[in-house]
Amino acid sequence: MAVASITQGGHDSHGEIDQLYIETRELRLQGFLLFLVSDCVLFSSFIFAYLYLRNSGQGWPPAGINRLDVAFAAVNSVVLFGSGATMHYALENWKHGNFMKFAWMLIFTIVLGVGFLCGQGYEYTNLIFHDHVSWWGSGIFGASFFTLTGMHGFHVFVGVCYLTVLLLQSAGGVYTKDKYFGLTAGTLYWHFVDVIWVVLFSIFYLL
Amino acid sequence: MNLVTIEHIVAVAGGIVVAVVAFYALYKDWKTPGVENNVFRLMLLLLGVGAVIALLAGLGILGNFPAKAA
Repeated sequence: MAVASITQGGHDSHGEIDQLYIETRELRLQGFLLFLVSDCVLFSSFIFAYLYLRNSGQGWPPAGINRLDVAFAAVNSVVLFGSGATMHYALENWKHGNFMKFAWMLIFTIVLGVGFLCGQGYEYTNLIFHDHVSWWGSGIFGASFFTLTGMHGFHVFVGVCYLTVLLLQSAGGVYTKDKYFGLTAGTLYWHFVDVIWVVLFSIFYLL
Repeated sequence: MNLVTIEHIVAVAGGIVVAVVAFYALYKDWKTPGVENNVFRLMLLLLGVGAVIALLAGLGILGNFPAKAA
């Protein structure tokens, strides 16, 4: 059904629905971008609080806490950034009417997103049980690290669920070649999650 | 070859691939009109920068801190 609708270019019998879509698309896009901006403000406030606290203390990381594992985090970052690239090409394939390529790219994106979450889980496990760093008992470092990366991880989890829904919707024929705002919003959200990780990776692992 | 070396190799190789893909996508979409495409370009640029940062971390140029004295 999805293949049929994508090749037909979305010119169905629901003319008034098409008109409504065209009229409201810009508004929905602006609304979604405002949501991303508000999310950006949320992350920014936590990031600046972390940087302020970090620079107000003596030495970083605090005594008794080892530096984070940069090599593993770099691999995990590449996994997440790779998912951003596959998501971009998923949307491009949809725009060009290649449903199968779109579906595979979206599946790759979901798998890479799950891979990133597994990597983060592995890192948390190592930190908590091996290095004895915890959210509640390691001062500013533990609190800020687990709060920010946990908040980001939650966003990735929501993104994975969102992309899975988009995959099912697109397979069910919800979107057409001309009407695919949900896919655009999903791509924007996933890119946003990637970009936030660029900042978090830099401030926690490389500074 | 130990695990850390493998992690560095994967980070470098993955960083190169993702950076090339991101910057190529940015180049291809450079003149596409529309608000969302402006945002996509910004996101792709930052994605490429992130991949380069991960690549440099994999090479040990960034984040290569000396071990702390016990």
